[in-house]
Amino acid sequence: MKLDSKIPAGPLAEKWTNYKASQKLVNPANKRKLDIIVVGTGLAGASAAASLGAMGFNVDIFCIQDSPRRAHSIAAQGGINAAKNYQNDGDSVERLFRDTIKGGDYRAREANVYRLAEVSGAIIDQCVAQGVPFARDYGGLLDNRSFGGAQVSRTFYAKGQTGQQLLLGAYGALSREIARGTVKLHTRCEMMDLVVVDGRARGIIVRNLVTGDLERYAAHAVVLATGGYGNLYYLSTNAMNSNGSAAWVCHRKGAAFANPCYVQIHPTCIPVHGDYQSKLTLMSESLRNDGRIWVPKKKEDAESIRAGKLKPTEIPEENRDYYLERRYPAFGNLVPRDVASRAAKERCDAGYGVGTGFAVYLDFADAIQRLGKDVVEQKYGNLFQMYQKITDENPYETPMMIYPAIHYTMGGLWVDYELQTTISGLFAAGEANFSDHGANRLGASALMQGLADGYFVLPYTMQNYLADQIYVGKISATTPEFDAAEAAVKQRIENLMKNSALRQAQGPASLKTVDHFHKALGKIMWEYCGMARHTESLTKAKKLVSELENEFWKSVFIPGNANEFNPELEKAYRLEDYFELAQLVIDDAMHREESCGGHFRTEHQTQDGETLRDDERFMYVAAWEYQGHGQPETMEKEPLVYEHIQIAKRNYK
Amino acid sequence: MKFTLHIWRQENARAKGHFETYPLEGISPDCSFLEMLDILNEQLINDHIAHPVCFDNDCREGICGMCGLYINGRPHGNDDGITTCQLHMRKFHDGDDIWIEPWRAKPFPVIRDLVVDRSAFDKIIQAGGYISTTTGGVPDANTIPIPKHKADMAMDAASCIGCGACVAACKNASAMLFVGAKVSHLALLPQGQIEAADRVHKMVCKMDELGFGSCTNTYACEAECPKLIKRQNISRLNRQWIGALFGRDRK
Amino acid sequence: MNLPKIHSISKKILVGALGAFLSFFLLFHASANLLILRHDGGEWYNAFCHFMGTYLIVKVMEIGLIAALLLHVVLAIWLAVTNKMARPKGYHKPQRSKTHTGSKLQVWTGILIFACLIMHFTDFYFVKIGLVKGKYLAKTEDVVALKTTQPDAFNYAEQHGEYSAKENWLTNFDKEDKAVLEAAGLEVEPDFYHQAREKFKVLHIIIAYLVFFTVVWFHLRHGFAAVFQTFGLYNYKYGKAIEVLGQIYTWVVCLMFAVVVIGVYFGL
Ligand SMILES: Cc1cc2nc3c(=O)[nH]c(=O)nc-3n(C[C@H](O)[C@H](O)[C@H](O)COP(=O)(O)OP(=O)(O)OC[C@H]3O[C@@H](n4cnc5c(N)ncnc54)[C@H](O)[C@@H]3O)c2cc1C
Ligand code: HEM
Ligand code: SF4
Ligand code: FES
Repeated sequence: MKLDSKIPAGPLAEKWTNYKASQKLVNPANKRKLDIIVVGTGLAGASAAASLGAMGFNVDIFCIQDSPRRAHSIAAQGGINAAKNYQNDGDSVERLFRDTIKGGDYRAREANVYRLAEVSGAIIDQCVAQGVPFARDYGGLLDNRSFGGAQVSRTFYAKGQTGQQLLLGAYGALSREIARGTVKLHTRCEMMDLVVVDGRARGIIVRNLVTGDLERYAAHAVVLATGGYGNLYYLSTNAMNSNGSAAWVCHRKGAAFANPCYVQIHPTCIPVHGDYQSKLTLMSESLRNDGRIWVPKKKEDAESIRAGKLKPTEIPEENRDYYLERRYPAFGNLVPRDVASRAAKERCDAGYGVGTGFAVYLDFADAIQRLGKDVVEQKYGNLFQMYQKITDENPYETPMMIYPAIHYTMGGLWVDYELQTTISGLFAAGEANFSDHGANRLGASALMQGLADGYFVLPYTMQNYLADQIYVGKISATTPEFDAAEAAVKQRIENLMKNSALRQAQGPASLKTVDHFHKALGKIMWEYCGMARHTESLTKAKKLVSELENEFWKSVFIPGNANEFNPELEKAYRLEDYFELAQLVIDDAMHREESCGGHFRTEHQTQDGETLRDDERFMYVAAWEYQGHGQPETMEKEPLVYEHIQIAKRNYK
Repeated sequence: MKFTLHIWRQENARAKGHFETYPLEGISPDCSFLEMLDILNEQLINDHIAHPVCFDNDCREGICGMCGLYINGRPHGNDDGITTCQLHMRKFHDGDDIWIEPWRAKPFPVIRDLVVDRSAFDKIIQAGGYISTTTGGVPDANTIPIPKHKADMAMDAASCIGCGACVAACKNASAMLFVGAKVSHLALLPQGQIEAADRVHKMVCKMDELGFGSCTNTYACEAECPKLIKRQNISRLNRQWIGALFGRDRK
Repeated sequence: MNLPKIHSISKKILVGALGAFLSFFLLFHASANLLILRHDGGEWYNAFCHFMGTYLIVKVMEIGLIAALLLHVVLAIWLAVTNKMARPKGYHKPQRSKTHTGSKLQVWTGILIFACLIMHFTDFYFVKIGLVKGKYLAKTEDVVALKTTQPDAFNYAEQHGEYSAKENWLTNFDKEDKAVLEAAGLEVEPDFYHQAREKFKVLHIIIAYLVFFTVVWFHLRHGFAAVFQTFGLYNYKYGKAIEVLGQIYTWVVCLMFAVVVIGVYFGL
């Protein structure tokens, strides 16, 4: 495997312009002859398919849910960044670029991040033209709020439903193309495998989730926009159907997987409260604009609170520890996510946690006093309501309880400047690629990246790839490669089901559900490869995951059969991939003997508990290559060269 | 807590379907409704080697619109302004009988158990529920100021999650709230006005064609909409429709 | 069956428009009815009815009214049937959503209204078109002539009916008298004043009418605001005002009808 990031020559600010000026194009008449498969209808997938369809390509788009509008992007609350400088507070492309690189702890590729910042403004223009109802001020112009890791207000938002509105915008554009016939929609279809012909991605095998039938689709290029793999941890802020399988089957077919250990833990989620819990709910980061985070200063107070003998409102001001404001006076409650999460964990591990012991307070009493209840309600009303529905507590009266949870995966399929993976013709966009966020993503940047990839990057770079594909003619789905891929998928399904038939004969005692194993896997990963990792915990995790996988094959039970609507089978298929992915995440975490962004190795920290990078040894992207089930993967390094930016210690104090 | 569940079971679209009764014990009041079903399914699989109850869900935080169960006579259950995934067991009484049915409407056929096919909604949007734009070549976002109250009203209408509770609740299985919300969202914005007449015409024709009923101003939709979309949006849809019938700017 | 294609909203708008037209008529009708309460031997009320029966334009409107009613009914039932078809398989649990009950009753109250209207028509309107018999009066000009040319007939009429010297009207004839008068060359027409006063003296009839008005009350209580909604005039600003106006309208119309019926019964 040879990594070529294909970064165009020239000064950083001119790279993208130069690229566009010299790339190859496909003439309009030929576009109709080229087929493209897009997997995923989130921001990245929907925007890419809509743009490619409008350009004249033939697009087939797939999603698991019953409608493209339900992709997990819909759940993003807080907002989307763009260097518009509408607030005249000194924002610029350059500053957004710097913030993102710094936020990512100097582990992202300069050229990609610069391009992202460069097209960010156009995203907002595009969305407004589509009718996305962004918040406005009384003069009728667009409003902004500030987000973690930035000292300017550059975040555009639509109430607490920004992701929803952006996705509905893209979904509208997609719907228009579907109506025009340039895009064909396939819902309730799960991609099961990638078909590679002569080293190029030429199609996919999907399972129709309603009938259970396996179907083949062939195309000149495939775009993977299937989101992140946060559900590896079982409990996360991701949706139930979010999964890593689509990316993983591509990895198996030869696409390198980069930086799998970079997992983002979001500081403001509703704490876990029971075993039966199926997911964690995010409370938008925007809450940190006005909410203050604290725990009791005295351990006795924390204990009394946990025992239910004391109420948070009874603790006087001087006995509260606003630890973020204390430790990071410059950024205060608005430090980046990884920093805020670790600080919460530090306090709870030290015995100052409230609730179950794994929670801190997010208090709005000051904001309510300063701004009035009405203003607070206007800004955060729906979030408060959501919190109350779940916890039965009123955040206007008593502080919210929050705790960090798995939220986003910076790691993903390795892509070059053109967003092409190491398999030619296979592109990855959105959270599915290893992205522009380095070791930590700043708030409101994932939406920006997904839409940048789909609207403004892929439509250019894919043409560069497709320009010479007009000569190959229609791709056939009946070649031996397709036969083999379909047979392999069938075999995988049979393995899972055969096992079940056996279990059934043995009676209930030995049976375990898929969820049972997924929960167990999640616990291992959270415990030993979560917010803090060290050699021992990772070694332990590796062993436990292998054991669990063996156990899974021995006693998992999937009811029903493969030729019907069968959610248990879907989950099992994904879990099988998670076992392999888990091993890779652990290996990657093990090999990266430094702390950076979301990856915190307790062996590598400063005296006051901050991350300690090792730029000498680890300033690179780790791209892993699959070697077969149970085999350790090989790693290729893509060195990160910083020509433009001055590398510094990441400091938010 | 302890419950007796009566759940609609139907193997596939062609099967007849029937209610099945399941007793369930030891449920925490803090458990969400879908988590309660997870627990039931775990038991069904483990103890009875039976096929679990199928139900649609994804985000489990009330935004994707995927979940939707008709619980004891109310879409999304006995609480206002929430989706099924946001319903918690503390809203029930210990020992309650809980009847769980799928959405019922001609354009929403059952796929399995409690899962229905809502692609009819996508088809309505495809008929014209968007502003025609192509990527790039649009003006700067601040070129057209929009009065805040208009933008806010558009946002309220746009917050529809496409769950279909309005159809499920309506005695006529009418999709007017869903269509009204989209038509309103776009008609309230200057960008959306250009295609307004055409849009409303196409969307309503599609809605009729797919077999949704028509509105009789019963407002069950408004009462059950998890996003509290108001009936005023249906009124605006009617107004837009009249405008489209008599207006000149329709293709 | 090949029904003409009318889009769902258009159908609604038609039902609403016809309903609104009928509602205007009701207000008019109810106000006019108050004249029955005048103890003038029917002078004013019958004059009004006479006016309604004379001019072409009014006659056209009368046909329009009947057509509107029938069309309203046909479209409404058509809507109700297609709406039922939109949910071939219903729910096991009855619906418990908070709704405007009025709307759910609308078809049934509508059908009841139709039934009551048949009763009402037998009492009044059918008399006019000669389908059933009732009370009659003779016109002014004829009566003047009769007095001089055929005093016998006039005396007969005066004994069997009532004579209003001021207006030169003979009123309150029964159907047997009608034949005698017609034989004498008099032109007669229905006497709704006496007809009403006779009918509303009977307890079961006024109970039936009060039921009728209650049903109308239900139908309109929902219908009034609904028309605004259907026409797209119901918005955030005036929503409340429309509801209130609807209540006022409905009560006023129904009370006016009821007052006449009850008033007559108690001899007002
Ligand atoms: C609760 C929450 C809040 C967030 N808030 C913010 C925020 O405020 N700002 C911000 O910038 N970012 C936010 N993020 C992150 C951001 O929403 C996501 O990173 C981003 O939306 C991912 O978009 P995507 O298009 O890559 O993938 P997704 O939106 O996850 O879409 C994945 C798509 O792929 C499909 N798919 C997956 N697997 C398969 C398969 N095997 N076969 C077929 N289809 C498949 C799915 O059906 C779906 O359509 C938030 C994330 C969460 C979880
Ligand atoms: C005096 C006679 C009547 C009057 C004044 C009247 C008035 C109205 C009004 C104002 C509406 C509201 C329209 C809307 O929802 O926009 C309405 C609706 C309706 N009417 Fe009548 N109506 C009368 C007789 C009838 C009769 C005889 C029927 C017989 C079936 C009937 C059936 C209905 C139905 C079913 C509706 C509801 C239609 C809908 O909401 O879609 N009405 N009527
Ligand atoms: S209008 Fe409300 S009930 Fe209807 S689909 Fe939208 S969110 Fe669901
Ligand atoms: S599961 Fe997404 S709204 Fe309920």
